[in-house]
Amino acid sequence: MPEVILEKVAKHYGQVVAVEDMTMNIADGEFIALLGPSGCGKTTTLRMLGGFVNATRGRIIVGGKDVTDLPPNRRNMGFVFQNYALFPHMTVAQNVAFGLKMRSVGKAETADRVRKALDRVRLSQYADRLPQQMSGGQQQRVALARALVIEPDVLLLDEPLSNLDAALRQEMKIEIRQLQQSLGLTTIFVTHDQDEAMSTSDRMVLMSNGKIEQVGPPDEVYNFPRSAFAAGFLGIPNLLPGALGNTDHASYHLDSGQVIRLAGQDPVPGASFLALRPDAISISSQAPSKNDNMLAGRVEIMTYHGAAVDYQVRLDTGAMLTARAVAPGLGGAPVLHQGTPVWLHWPPSAGVIVSKH
Amino acid sequence: MTVADMTINSAPRVAARKTRQRSRLPWLMSPALIFVIACLLFPLAMMLRYSLNHYDPAELMVSALTAENYLKFFSDSFYQEVLWRTVGISVLSTVICLVAGVPVAYFLARYTSALYKRVLLLLILVPLLIGNVVRTSAWMLILNDTGVLAAFLGLFGYTGRLNLMYTSTGVVIGLVSVLLPFMVITLNSVFEAIDHNLEDAASSLGAGHLTIMRQVVLPLALPGILAGSVLCLILAMNAYATPVLIGGPTFNMMAPIVYQQIAKAMNWPFGAALAFVLMAATLVMTIGVSAVVQNKYRKWSE
Amino acid sequence: MHANDRGDPVRLAYTTISMTVIGFIVLPLVFIIWMSFFSNKILSFPPEGYTLEWYARAWDLADFRDGFFLSMRMSLISTAISLVLGLPASFALARGRFPGRDAINTILMSPLMVPGIVSGGALFVFFLEIEFLTDVIIAGSSLGLIIAYSLIGLPWMVRLVTTSLIGVNPSIEEAARSLGAGPLTVFFRITLPVIKPGLIAGSLFAFVNAFIDLEKSLFLVGPDHTTLQIALLNYLEWTFDSTIGAVATVQIALVAALLIITDHYVKLSRAF
Repeated sequence: MPEVILEKVAKHYGQVVAVEDMTMNIADGEFIALLGPSGCGKTTTLRMLGGFVNATRGRIIVGGKDVTDLPPNRRNMGFVFQNYALFPHMTVAQNVAFGLKMRSVGKAETADRVRKALDRVRLSQYADRLPQQMSGGQQQRVALARALVIEPDVLLLDEPLSNLDAALRQEMKIEIRQLQQSLGLTTIFVTHDQDEAMSTSDRMVLMSNGKIEQVGPPDEVYNFPRSAFAAGFLGIPNLLPGALGNTDHASYHLDSGQVIRLAGQDPVPGASFLALRPDAISISSQAPSKNDNMLAGRVEIMTYHGAAVDYQVRLDTGAMLTARAVAPGLGGAPVLHQGTPVWLHWPPSAGVIVSKH
Repeated sequence: MTVADMTINSAPRVAARKTRQRSRLPWLMSPALIFVIACLLFPLAMMLRYSLNHYDPAELMVSALTAENYLKFFSDSFYQEVLWRTVGISVLSTVICLVAGVPVAYFLARYTSALYKRVLLLLILVPLLIGNVVRTSAWMLILNDTGVLAAFLGLFGYTGRLNLMYTSTGVVIGLVSVLLPFMVITLNSVFEAIDHNLEDAASSLGAGHLTIMRQVVLPLALPGILAGSVLCLILAMNAYATPVLIGGPTFNMMAPIVYQQIAKAMNWPFGAALAFVLMAATLVMTIGVSAVVQNKYRKWSE
Repeated sequence: MHANDRGDPVRLAYTTISMTVIGFIVLPLVFIIWMSFFSNKILSFPPEGYTLEWYARAWDLADFRDGFFLSMRMSLISTAISLVLGLPASFALARGRFPGRDAINTILMSPLMVPGIVSGGALFVFFLEIEFLTDVIIAGSSLGLIIAYSLIGLPWMVRLVTTSLIGVNPSIEEAARSLGAGPLTVFFRITLPVIKPGLIAGSLFAFVNAFIDLEKSLFLVGPDHTTLQIALLNYLEWTFDSTIGAVATVQIALVAALLIITDHYVKLSRAF
């Protein structure tokens, strides 16, 4: 039985629509990432799940029970806030014990469960410290422990990693995922970072302007975005406008005139773009083999990214494409300088047709 | 000329400019400082010295070094009564202000939009600038036997005397009305500073509203609660208009008798002693309240 | 504003309590204004009729009329003095780093910390001693009131202007210097306009607190030289009629107008 169901949930603030027609089934133990730019409604959705915001319409059902009208303190959900919201006047142990105190758990059992929770996040030796005396990463783990110790039905995380530095973010990402899997906890994680969403979730929910754009496992959404928005958000800067060929679905006619060969793409009706990953495009100063699709242009900007080199190429048609090549130091071709005439080419199977948005 | 030469040569000039700046500062401050020292601190010191003088009905004040004025205060039960009455009324008024002020300040911090809050704060601030005489005389209108409250109760058939004017109860009511804005404004800034997310976090962990207030908000607001309480205590102890107007000529509190002794009876030694007893009592209460509150704070976080 | 609309019964409770308490603070003033128009000879409720005679009567009474003008004059002059003394002091406090800065700040704030009745008494004694020594009359004259009111206004001015000054980004003055402005130009064209909220708020609070002062004025008024608040106090000793209401209403209107006008031009919340 699905653990969390959202049925046509909507939130309106007067005329402003924050969330519209949110419908989702989340399975027991599933890790869902709500991903999108700021203002897309992901945090509002999470806060509706937590009970901090009243839904204007729709129902929220957890474990078969309709919780739509329940206040936050009766939903038994673990909520981890973006700025951790640790009680500054209580020690780490007291913070973690708070939810148990609210449930009238006995002193001995509380102490035991708090100890186990702190062990799980490796903070046992900090039990008597105050939050202000801990680093950001440590505070985040305390917040996590506090939410988990109450054995919630659902774990809700509101951009928990955004205040951490890059290294900590990587570490905590893995830790959160491991904890979640070991506990089998249904989890909903809000983020604006597609890398975080992809590396942690079982399914990703891409949101924009209060609505769901696309739902699916990370590899599916990443490799097969369905709209220009999704493609753009997931890091595909190359969008060439055009239309499918009338007679077959093996060719794509770009607005700039060229015909591109397709192989195996799922056709999307209506106005569309051809979306190409920079790493799927090969760049060379020599003319490529005839099996590939190809476009000619000149290198405009070259940026070095450690393991890769990005080329911004101005096509003869006027559009700009980004191609990514392996760095010379790692076996790639020598760097091509600004102004060099080049060919961009890719196999027919690369590239996705996405709808216009 | 090398770079080294230039640096060495410019150093004294920079240093000179810095000392010029720094030496300008005393001049900027001295007029204000001299004014306060000459017109407040010096007269206060003079009063302190006078409190040790001797009062003579004929010569008024005779230079001496006697503690008789302070002894007179502590041995005469009349003055003891005045002091305890003042303390009692001040403490009671402050406690009522606290109980009434916390919900209002919290309401302003959490439940009002920016515009609404600005209007309400203005509404609370304006009475502060109206003056205690006017505000207290407004209460006389309400509390006396032919006033607003009597007429209101008359609607329900109550025709007896109100007996609020010239009583402690009336004075406390008047004082609370005068002091509340101070409490609300002090508390409001404290509640604003507390992170909203903390209350949501407590709620998500199962705490109902009263528990959230008790366990999260009030402990964190303690410094502000202390500041507001101390402020109200001080203002109440030194109140003049409310005790005189609502309490009446036979209702004695400390500030009115200080005035009577210094300006009417012209008994400066005794009046000065009374003034310093009042200040000392207020100081002792302030320190006491701070200590109690800080102690409670330690208990709360256990 | 928190995007949290849960807890309706809780919110209702807070709204009710708050409105009651705010009413408790504000209603007395509403009543005194209302009752200043009652035609009842003895101040009582309910109204027998309405009239403006109390206002005419208040104006006719020399104590109130002269008191009003005296209070205005004394408060204005003392506010100006507070500005002249306080503005440079605020500069030194806000910009300077020197030993004893905290002590000096405390000294300048001390008039706020000493009870009015005590400092009033001290000034009274001090002025009379000077009179005994030099035959110069201060207590009971304008000079006495001006000194006392300046003591009231100075800390308010210093506190509000210092707060404003601290909030000024020093880079804007440096930018002006780098563009060729001399120190006086920087002061008048850059700094002063930016600290306007503090100056206006400071002047407002200095003026009003002097105007409504009671405890210091008690000691420093004289025959034919009384302030409005003392006149009110004296009148209330013998009579209780709506003349009081008329005077009170005029004072309330004056202060409310000052506050609203000031708040419109200078968000008072920014000055604190």
